[in-house]
Amino acid sequence: MLSLITRRLMTAIPTLLVIILASFFLMRLAPGGPFDGERPLDPATQAALQQAYGLDRPLWEQAWLYISRLVQGDFGPSLVYRDFSVSELIAQGLPISLTLGGLAIMLALIIGVTAGLFAAVRAGKAADKMIMMLATVATALPTFVTGPALALCFGLWLGLLPVSGTGEGGAWLIMPVVALALPVSGAIAKLTRAGLASVLKQDHIRTARARGLSETKILFKHGLRPALVPVASYLGPAAAGLLTGAVVVETVFGLPGLGRYFVQGALNRDYPLVLGVVTLYAALIILFNLFADLVYGWLDPRMREG
Amino acid sequence: MSLYEIRNMAVDIAGNRLVEEVSLTVEAGRCTAIIGASGSGKSLTCLTPFGLTPGSASGSMLLDGVDLVGADAGQLRDARRRLTGFIFQQPLTALTPHLTVGAQLQEATMQAGSARPSRLELVQKLERVGLSRPDERLDQFPHRLSGGERQRVMIAAAIAHDPKLLIADEPTSALDASLRTEIMDLLDELRAEQGLGMLLVSHDLASVEGHADQLVVMDKGRVVETGPVGDVIANPAEDYTRKLITATPRLNEPSPKLVELGDVLLETGDVAVEFQRPGWRRGTISAVVDASIMVRQGEALALVGGSGSGKSTLGRAIAGIGPVTRGGVLWQGSALPERRARSLEMRRLIQPVFQDPVASLDPQWQVRDIVTEPLRNLRPDLTRAEREDLARRALSNVDLAEDFLTRMPTSLSGGQAQRVAIARAIIAAPQLLVLDEATSALDPLVGAEILMLLARLQAENGLSLLFITHDIAAARRLCHRIAVMDEGRIVETGAMQAVIDDPRHPATQRLVAAS
Repeated sequence: MLSLITRRLMTAIPTLLVIILASFFLMRLAPGGPFDGERPLDPATQAALQQAYGLDRPLWEQAWLYISRLVQGDFGPSLVYRDFSVSELIAQGLPISLTLGGLAIMLALIIGVTAGLFAAVRAGKAADKMIMMLATVATALPTFVTGPALALCFGLWLGLLPVSGTGEGGAWLIMPVVALALPVSGAIAKLTRAGLASVLKQDHIRTARARGLSETKILFKHGLRPALVPVASYLGPAAAGLLTGAVVVETVFGLPGLGRYFVQGALNRDYPLVLGVVTLYAALIILFNLFADLVYGWLDPRMREG
Repeated sequence: MSLYEIRNMAVDIAGNRLVEEVSLTVEAGRCTAIIGASGSGKSLTCLTPFGLTPGSASGSMLLDGVDLVGADAGQLRDARRRLTGFIFQQPLTALTPHLTVGAQLQEATMQAGSARPSRLELVQKLERVGLSRPDERLDQFPHRLSGGERQRVMIAAAIAHDPKLLIADEPTSALDASLRTEIMDLLDELRAEQGLGMLLVSHDLASVEGHADQLVVMDKGRVVETGPVGDVIANPAEDYTRKLITATPRLNEPSPKLVELGDVLLETGDVAVEFQRPGWRRGTISAVVDASIMVRQGEALALVGGSGSGKSTLGRAIAGIGPVTRGGVLWQGSALPERRARSLEMRRLIQPVFQDPVASLDPQWQVRDIVTEPLRNLRPDLTRAEREDLARRALSNVDLAEDFLTRMPTSLSGGQAQRVAIARAIIAAPQLLVLDEATSALDPLVGAEILMLLARLQAENGLSLLFITHDIAAARRLCHRIAVMDEGRIVETGAMQAVIDDPRHPATQRLVAAS
């Protein structure tokens, strides 16, 4: 187990390096630059700015400089938000995005697994068909539809929840988290149901039944864990999707999360800001995948080997 | 009064009557065995009364004074909880993969309402079924145990709550011959010790003889014959029973008449096969260590060993479909090059047949495509019509009618599928067949037919056979000589009867004793 963790963290370093270098060069390939505005700057100012940020040096030298600073924990200055460093911007946005994403994943798991379990137990009956239809709808609806619909319903008509921005207490989180969690919970419900349906046909379930255990006990003690293996393999990519997909939800509900900086940074050619967010996302995704692998081992001990 | 009594039971699944007019009794401390081919309804007969199949049973079933017929789901559950223990065929899949041996044994102990057992009690339960290092095993997951060890855990769990009736559905079919005997002996001991009644289901008459008291022979969902085991085997009243008895290979039956031998066909010179250890551990596993065997023209050589002895790996190395680390194969005195370098002519010489006939045929292909595939690759000179013609001849050689050409593998029975596999193997006119447990997955009647077919092919075509098996009695019907493998080495070779009469190596003695 420990060797798995160290092994994965060791391979994470070259992976991150490749991601950073690839995004660095790809971004510089794109036309335009951070100082292109509606009115072109005069060439002297342009050159002075380029020099001040070191953008006039050879590309490989800039890449080397960026990485050597990154190793010391310095993400560099933002080229567009001139008063802030990228680290400061991330420090502002990350807590909001993480809270949003983390709560959404938890909510999706609770709704999805419960619904999937319920459907599997009533396989073929009306409740099963109903749940699976709702799951399909939930998966198919994009957040830019559910987000505004929720805001319209609970924010404007019923006036129960704040429509935009952060505030005191946790009420402002409810709608964005639900909007983010819905499609994921639909997918989890389907995976859970399919997993359980196949596990319940297996021999060890018959053994448990032969012991005269109650159906509830068979389901939770002998059936559920192996049935969640497909859910676990979906969680890594799903968490990544929640992080990057939060951009839409953050925009809809006017939340100052990371996603906003990511999109604006890319549009403005704010090289250090985009690189910083990409690096952070990559690191988080690697961590999620490692976590998913550890969950695997718990769900099915056979996967701990080889 | 009998412990368990079934009178005139029928089993229906979705409106189809699959079992009818079954009557049998199990006495406390005694064993009643149900024998029958696959599909004869024997598993349905023993599992349906307890609600463990999708079917429903009608008739009269009385267990220790409890009427199972009128019972609802809750009462059946209660009967299973208190009165019965179950052992299933596949120890690999019948234990829950994510719970430790200890957790499952504890659950089984507490199923009838006992208090939580101490660790010592659990250790004792594992000791009683003959598991080594029981304390360590409690914390292990089932996949770390071998097949025999898992089946012992399964037995320990089945009797942990002191049931009155033990139902064992093919408890030894997935194990090799010497393990089979060990497990059956263990069940005998436990039965005597605790006065357990046992209902045993098996397709193999040989594994039941000497263990069961009563025999129930089933065929096509009906009971053919019932009686004390000795009487039924000595004086079978029904034709089906008689066929079953003659089909079951025995070491003491008259020696078969075997074909004359020619020159040396194949020799292996110290073949070794090693595999990289899985995972991050360094080193290699030696599956085959310096194995030398020889097969003559027209000879059948039995390569016999327990599971994990390396016999299949050696067979694959000889057939050119598995890795060889060192050593090589001599064909009529000259070395066969490694697989890639073999000419089409050389590849034609040796053809394999595998254990599971249905799984080894591509389910998407027609029998025609399966049988002619070797020709398409090995005989590019033939036209389509010539290939068809040879396919027809190959099928008639294995006693299958021409209309099998258009059948799909899923529509074949196990015996028919194995005939197709043999037709595929012989169509390119090979000189040696490597048969890897070719009859082990089949019912005795079907297995005996395949053995006869192989003997006939050998006599007619002068074919040589390498017959890989764990079953000496079956091998004896076909083979001139025997080579015994244990832990990757050939430990004994000799003429079949001589080795059976006087086994030298402990591994050989175990295998002979188990047959």
